[in-house]
Amino acid sequence: MRLAFWLYEGTALHGISRVTNSMKGVHTVYHAPQGDDYITATYTMLERTPEFPRLSISVVRGQDLARGVSRLPSTVEQVEEHYGPELIVVAPSCSTALLQEDLGQMARQSGVSPDKIMVYAVNPFRVSENEAAEGLFTELVKRFAKECPKTDLPSVNILGFTSLGFHLRANLTSMRRMLQTLGIRVNVVAPWGAGTADLATLPSAWLNIAPYREIGRQAADYLESAFGMPSVTEAPIGVGTTMRWLESVIEKINLIAAELGSAQIVMPDPRAFSLDGLSAPSGVPWFARTADMESFSNKRAFVFGDATHTVGVVKFLRDELGMQIIGAGTYLARQADWVRSQLEGYLPGELMVTDRFQDVSKFIEEEMPELVCGTQMERHSCRKLDVPCMVISPPTHIENHLLGYYPFFGFDGADVIADRVYTSAKLGLEKHLIDFFGDAGLEYEEKAGAPSSNGTATASPETEASRDEGSESGGEMSWSDEAEAMLRKVPFFVRKKVRKNTENFARQNGAASVTADVFRKAKEHLGG
Amino acid sequence: MMPVSSDCQILKEDNVTHSFCGLACVGWLYQKIKDSFFLILGTHTCAHFLQNALGMMIFAKPRFGIALLEESDLSKHEPRLDEVISEIKRDHHPSVIFLLSSCTPEVMKVDFKGLAHTLSTPEVPVLFVPASGLVFNFTQAEDSVLQALVHHCPEAPAGRKNVVFVGSVNDSTADDLRAEAEELGIPVGGFLPESRFDRLPAIGPDTVLAPIQPYLSRVCSRLSRERGSRVLNSLFPFGPDGTRAFWEDLAAEFGMKVDLRDREEAAWKKIEKQTGLLRNKKIFLTADTMMELPLARFLKHAGADVVECSSAYINKKFHARELEALSGVRVVEQPNFHRQLEEIRRTRPDMIVTSLMTANPFVGNGFVVKWSMEFTLMSIHSWSGVFTLANLFVSPLLRRQKLPAFDESVWLEGVMPSAL
Repeated sequence: MRLAFWLYEGTALHGISRVTNSMKGVHTVYHAPQGDDYITATYTMLERTPEFPRLSISVVRGQDLARGVSRLPSTVEQVEEHYGPELIVVAPSCSTALLQEDLGQMARQSGVSPDKIMVYAVNPFRVSENEAAEGLFTELVKRFAKECPKTDLPSVNILGFTSLGFHLRANLTSMRRMLQTLGIRVNVVAPWGAGTADLATLPSAWLNIAPYREIGRQAADYLESAFGMPSVTEAPIGVGTTMRWLESVIEKINLIAAELGSAQIVMPDPRAFSLDGLSAPSGVPWFARTADMESFSNKRAFVFGDATHTVGVVKFLRDELGMQIIGAGTYLARQADWVRSQLEGYLPGELMVTDRFQDVSKFIEEEMPELVCGTQMERHSCRKLDVPCMVISPPTHIENHLLGYYPFFGFDGADVIADRVYTSAKLGLEKHLIDFFGDAGLEYEEKAGAPSSNGTATASPETEASRDEGSESGGEMSWSDEAEAMLRKVPFFVRKKVRKNTENFARQNGAASVTADVFRKAKEHLGG
Repeated sequence: MMPVSSDCQILKEDNVTHSFCGLACVGWLYQKIKDSFFLILGTHTCAHFLQNALGMMIFAKPRFGIALLEESDLSKHEPRLDEVISEIKRDHHPSVIFLLSSCTPEVMKVDFKGLAHTLSTPEVPVLFVPASGLVFNFTQAEDSVLQALVHHCPEAPAGRKNVVFVGSVNDSTADDLRAEAEELGIPVGGFLPESRFDRLPAIGPDTVLAPIQPYLSRVCSRLSRERGSRVLNSLFPFGPDGTRAFWEDLAAEFGMKVDLRDREEAAWKKIEKQTGLLRNKKIFLTADTMMELPLARFLKHAGADVVECSSAYINKKFHARELEALSGVRVVEQPNFHRQLEEIRRTRPDMIVTSLMTANPFVGNGFVVKWSMEFTLMSIHSWSGVFTLANLFVSPLLRRQKLPAFDESVWLEGVMPSAL
């Protein structure tokens, strides 16, 4: 038993729904109490899904338990009738897992063909989001992938891209761009946008690409052992890593091409990977060498996140930007050994492995790094400490679902990460100026919005609040203490406006000062 | 008690719907009761719900937390919370700790009452609050929190006649309600809950309980049973119609006859632009926050055509006046979402008031929506809330008018590749 306030990884149900929400024709039925389908809101609000996520709940009420009634058969029947999915995945929640019911037998009572029903009854107390998603996706691949002839032209499957993935769309676009430049076609992306028929044709691709350590790699392993398909499992984070990733893709494709007697792929001119086709594919190598970036070489950085991003970002910061890594960690204990092996020689001490954000926050407070790369929670911890922080890892957040193109993978991704390092950290000359003219800078912030050291707007509630406090006195009209106290109860961000409108109202009604009574009348008149 | 009008039939379905569990009430109550701590005995699921669905992740030291049941705790007969409670007291110094149940420990048949009792001290009581999704929806667990507070409300002696408002509202709204009552000559005994645990109102046989939220039937009937208090039977104070009835009926409880007709008229006049827009608009309310009945009643009186009003829980006695006012409207308890979806596609309402889980998909299907949860978080009570309430309903309609035409075959491409 421990007191938890916030968790990095989601539940098994969340992992399951991430896979099924990604897929066409697959519907999840949760056998769970009211509210356990709250995760639907993460799809409809973060991904802003224009259709209903394929997710229904067979509600378990206390009175049903007492009476021994189960609504699972009727829910499965309703799902079949209203959505006609190709597959219904039935899963228990943490509370219903304790009931030890035979979900398969109950679901079959619905009259829906058993071939269409898949019970995925992981133990939610033992299995979390990533493991559940990885496990279910692998099961689905095993169930549907069939032996089929290879495509004529070189092709790959891209595995592990999953609903609510970190910068998922942009990463996929970045990968597609690179593959297109190589002349390699994408056979299937899964689970994101794939149907069961697509899973069936997975073995027709020449190669599997599974860049996420967390989801997709197990399916690639299965396809390798069952169908002899090779795979590339590195994540192309950073320029050097992307170059090696491209070489590895080409090498593996060419082995198959040789077997099939097809043409070999040759690495194109690097310019071919740039957005305009005319320039260097990334600005990072030159950026890292420029004089104004000299202050970076001794910046002390700390990295914390999932496995894929922690490894990728540590290597990028040290190998490509020349930063000093003072520590790294992951919240995925299951992946800790892999992260350790990948980061051998990179870390001055032990890898931090914890799922308690307080531990991470304490480390940051003790070490005061000059750059933290973490999750949304580290961003929050760092804000209190005034430590520069950038978000490089899930859990996903609304700010990781922006409209623009911000990949982390490929050449484009290297540029994005470097830009974020640049805009997050306080840099050379600018930092000296801020330190020197600190007070003046602060005054400026209060009057005209809050540009950070690098000019990006970061209006935090704290600065908003202090701005409001600062301008609150000095109104033209006098206020009684009671009215003033009432005004304080109005949210800070509209307080100023309410003060002005109340004074206008008082003047119009011939009041000389604002009393509690005037304030209340004004409020009613002006509509709250 | 008013009989439910015979032409208001309540249909009851199977509750296959999308809404939150009772733990959602932590979102506003921990902010309302400022010297409290909300401790949920629950699992990873409960924690993930609070931090994701309610977006409550970004507070450094929130006054709520989850005593996390892990696999090793499942075999234990009774969970031990002593250390967790000490940690909370050390870090947060609360005056009261609410111990909320959730589904897993309910299934484990944890003796919450006994647990809360042993953890309680005279200085810091630990109060059991049933909140699990096995029984409670969304706002309903506020009812449980208030019930837990009943024992800590002092007994008001017979003869002390005043009103206690029941329901959590922000301090500014509470000020308004208090001032309005005083202006009408109604003595105010306080609010349940107040913003501090140590300032709970005295309640006794001559207390008039005025429920200001529509999901608090049980605490009202319990106080009526245990303390002999009277429960105001009126409309809820939302909109000009509800607000007038509320204050007139409350005044009547104090032997006063007040006529607020002019006030109501003036309030309608103030929102005539909004009601002009709502007139004859077809509006559908899916079940979510249990604010649906009074909202639908306001819409109906504003001239809208309420196609269907559904709610997770309807109490024929507590909601009698609202149901009566909704006569002629289809009212559904524990609706089936699949059926509603077909109904909506058939009747093409002009606006759907619906949950966070279903709002954007409805927009994707070409409808105008309003988040139902907004009504629980905005000041829409009494006269000062009329404008806000009306605007909440018209803003989606106005915004839609301002946006350019939308070709979904172009602009939805690739947004949700799993959509068929």
